[in-house]
This record gives sequence, structure tokens and C-alpha cells, in this order.
Amino acid sequence: MIRRRLVIRRRLAVLSLPVALLVGGAVAVAAAGTASPALAGAAGSTGKHALNGTFKLAPGACFGDAVNGTYFRMIFPHGNVTTGQFFQNPDSTCPNKTFTLAVPGTQGGLATGKYQPNPTPPFNAQGGANANLIVQPQSFTAINFSIATNKVDPQTGQHAPAPVIYDTNGKLSGQIEAWSAAWNKEYFNQGSPKPNGSQPGLTKPLTGTYNAKTHQFVLTWTSQVVGGPFNGFTGDWHLSGTFEPAK
Amino acid sequence: MALRPEDQVVGGLARRWALITVAVIGVAIAVAPLAFGMFTKAPQGATMIAAFKPYMTAARIDGYQAELREINAGVRQTDTSVAAALGAGAGGQAAFDKAYPDFASFDRQWPAIDSTMTTLMDEVHGNLGNYQAMAALPSFDLFPWFFVIPGVLVAGVAIVALVRPPRRGRRWPRWTLVVLGVALIAAPAALQLFSRGPDGGQMMSAFKNIETTNNVQKIQGYFGTMAVGQGAIRLDIVPALEHSGLTPGQVITEYPALSKLDANWIHILNDMTPMIGVMSDSVGEYQAVASLPPFALFPWFFVIPGVLVAGLALVAWRPRATRTVQVGADAGADHEPINVHPSLSVSVRQVAS
Repeated sequence: MIRRRLVIRRRLAVLSLPVALLVGGAVAVAAAGTASPALAGAAGSTGKHALNGTFKLAPGACFGDAVNGTYFRMIFPHGNVTTGQFFQNPDSTCPNKTFTLAVPGTQGGLATGKYQPNPTPPFNAQGGANANLIVQPQSFTAINFSIATNKVDPQTGQHAPAPVIYDTNGKLSGQIEAWSAAWNKEYFNQGSPKPNGSQPGLTKPLTGTYNAKTHQFVLTWTSQVVGGPFNGFTGDWHLSGTFEPAK
Repeated sequence: MALRPEDQVVGGLARRWALITVAVIGVAIAVAPLAFGMFTKAPQGATMIAAFKPYMTAARIDGYQAELREINAGVRQTDTSVAAALGAGAGGQAAFDKAYPDFASFDRQWPAIDSTMTTLMDEVHGNLGNYQAMAALPSFDLFPWFFVIPGVLVAGVAIVALVRPPRRGRRWPRWTLVVLGVALIAAPAALQLFSRGPDGGQMMSAFKNIETTNNVQKIQGYFGTMAVGQGAIRLDIVPALEHSGLTPGQVITEYPALSKLDANWIHILNDMTPMIGVMSDSVGEYQAVASLPPFALFPWFFVIPGVLVAGLALVAWRPRATRTVQVGADAGADHEPINVHPSLSVSVRQVAS
């Protein structure tokens, strides 16, 4: 009888090890899954932390074929980021008119952790965009276009979280789902990922570099237009400037 | 005397088979939308028709055609008299092309763009009536239910009549099925499907080469080319004319077509861009609708089952002629013949063989 109990105990001990491992693993996975990105960043073990503040934009500028500062290009369907084909904006001030330069808006650039929404009305009588917080409206084929970040994406009608950007030892990552271009009374979500979390076509995650000492940053991403007159085109975004932490 | 086999064929059995056939027809009508994928495709058709509605008017299409003529006139004038003025004394057309390469590139591509876009607009204009006929149909969202509801009713009546046959003399299944059959026959006429269906089919055929991803991307490319060309006119050529000594007023007077294109460009963009957007957004919806059976066949999807249902119901319950059948233990001359209605003969067994 005693021997039989010992056998049962031994078997239970043997069985309990994998069960404990499974339960422990599941708890660990669940905990990792529910941890907020901010908390993950705050842990500091990876050096990842959210940059809350405003990414003050340097205006775009051309020097011959070289371009720096903040600018964007539009790639035709079936094109690629390296060789295009790129859409030519006749209103570009660059010799290479595939670059459309940006001028910082009244808030200086992109704010994280909050929205910089479209104004009311969002368009002027000619269809030009009125948004001017992130960048000043710029002419694109004779009609002004501009950028805003909205809680509800005006093209898709889907909720979009406020932009979040992390610095991990000088490398930037995050999401900019709410990034929305407005032009000719039309909206084009240019976020990455899209408000539904997808990354269609040439859409690529936000990446970049950050110098913690100088606060200089470069942010880049691509986002394919889904729907509307520019369906299948891809916006190639390049933001640079100086990060100003929130006070 | 033995009963002949044909005398054993009974009305009840024939009616049973008729009801089974009617039930099968009803089920077939009810499941047809599933088989055709109508529950997903028909709502896409409704979306497509609604999306095109603002653009499918004679005034709007006339406007697009006028804008194309306006662009053409502006390009032709720039290519001829403006080029002569700006290229005069400096090598003519070749010098002009060299000085304004963006316009020259657009100018080379314009004839093909103009031809394609004009043909497209003519095609769309020619199908305005067909579109309106299609739009006048009941909402595509409802289409699957036009099959499901009568199908379920027909199958339901037939199955109930099979499972719980009505008492002798009661003929409600017959008349219910006849009414349903007649309703199916009448429905296409009531919905004007015989005229609107083929009209819609014609529109779908006409849009076959328009509503494709390739065609939409070609038009998007044209838009890019036109924007570059107009940009050259607005930002290079008009300033050059003014630089040559003409006042803005003189530019308008001497080059009205060029000036009109320049002045109306934003309006043209306002007008054309949303239509390109709708064309692009509707490609998937068009393909979904195009994969449904041809519109011209739709009326017959109601009429044929309707005729079958009503016909079978009438035939199954038709009054039968009384036939004389002699039954008895023998065929003795002293026996009186008994008149038996064939429908009752099922209960009559051979008593002698």
C-alpha cells in the first residue's frame, strides 16, 4: 500500500514539472503580451523608450540633385523606392521635381502622443488642404496638399492611435497610423501601419535614427495609398530635424 | 380478372412525384444566390452603382468631354502659335521643345491620351441610359432575397403537402403553388427585368475594358503626364510669354485656348480626380458583378421555375377521367362491372390472377 502511494507521488512529481513549465510559460507570454509599449520602454533593459514631444521638422531643401530636410515622393504603382517611377510635381522647387519639399507648420512638426487634426473646414474652395500644424500646405500639381493626424482617419473612417515613436539606442521605431494627407478634397492615409494594422504593398514600418545628445533625428517610412484616385501609389516620407521633448 | 398495370398507376403517386419535383425546384431557387455568390457580389454591385451615380449624368459627362476638348485646344495652341512665338528666331519648334522639355514630352503623349480618354468618355456617354436602367432596378442588396424568399415558400408548401397531405377534396397546395408560380412568372415583368436586365448587361459589357486595374493605372499615368504638361504651361510658358513683353491681358487675348486651359486647370482637376478615384475603387466591385450570370438571363431565372411550379401543381391535381375497371373473383357474365376512379385504384388489390 505504502509502496503504491510512493509510486503515485513519483508519477505526480514527474507530471507536475511539464505542467508547471507550461503554466509558467503561458503566464510569462500573457504578461509580455499585455505589457504596454510605454512600460516596455520604461523597463530600460533594452534601452527602448518612447519619445514624447515634437519632432521639429527641418524644412526640405535641394542642392542640385541632393535633397535634405523634410520631403516626400510619390511612387507609381509597380514602382519601387529606389528607382521609382516617381510622380513629378511641377510645383516642386527642386531640379528633380519628384521631390516635394515640406515647410514646418505652426507647431513645428510632428507631435507624438497626441493628434494634430485637420481644421474646419479642411479644404479651401479650390480643394487645397488647410491643415498647417505639422507642415504648411504645399502646392502639388497646382492644388495645396498638407498633413494632419486624426483620431478617426478621414479616408478609412477607422480609429487611428496617436503617433508613438520609440528610441532604442539611437534607432527609431513606432507607429504613425494617423498620418493623413489631404489634397483636392480627398484624403489619403499615409500611415504605417495602416489604421487596421496592415502594411499593404510597399508600406514599410517607420524607421530612423536619433542622437540623444543633439536630439537630431531622421524618420522614414513608406505607405501605399489604398483607394481613391492614387490607389496603388506609394508615399515615401523623409522627416528630419530636432526632437523637442514635451515639457 | 387481373388489373392492368396502367390501372394501378395512381393519382396519389403522380402527385407525390410532382410535389417532390416542385420541392426540388424551390430548393434550387433558394440556394441559387449561394451558388452564384450573390450575397457578397450583389451588395458590391449596389455599392458600384451608388458610387457612379454622381458621375453618370449627361451634364457631368458632357463636362468631361468639354474639358478634354479644352485641354486639346490648349495643347494645340501651345504647340503651334505659342511655340512659333517663343521659338521665333531661335530655331523654331526644335528650340521650343528644347527650352520646354516637360511640355514637349506631354505634347508627344497627348494625342494618345486624348484618343483614349475621348473614346472612354464616348463609351460612358453611350451607356448613360443603360446605367440608368440598371440603377432603376431594385437595390442589388435585395437581389439574393428575390430568389431565397420564393424558393423557400415553394419548397415549404411542397414539403408540407408531402408530409401532411391535405384531406380529400382540399386542394390548398395546388392553388398556393400556382399563385407562387404565377408570381415568379410575373416578377420580372413587374420589375421590368426584361428591358433593364439586357440594358444592364450592355453596360457591363461596355465597361469590361474600362473597369480594369490596368486601365485605371493607365489613366492615373495620364494624369501624371497631364499634370507635368500643364505645370510647364503654367510655370514656364505663360511666364515666358509675359517675359517676351506681353501683359497678362494680352496673353489671354492672343492665346485664349492656352489661357483657358491654364485658368481652368484646377477646376479640371477638381472634376476629374474624383472620377478616377471612383473608377479605381469600383474595379473589384465591377469584377464581382461581372462574375454573376449575364443580366439578360435573370428574368428567365424566375419565369422558367415559375412555369414549372405552376404547371406541375396544375397537372398533379388535375381531375382525372373515370375509367371502367372490372373487378371480381371471376369474370362471370352475371357480375355487374364496378366503376372505379383511377385515383382510388391504389387500394384495390388484385383479387384474382
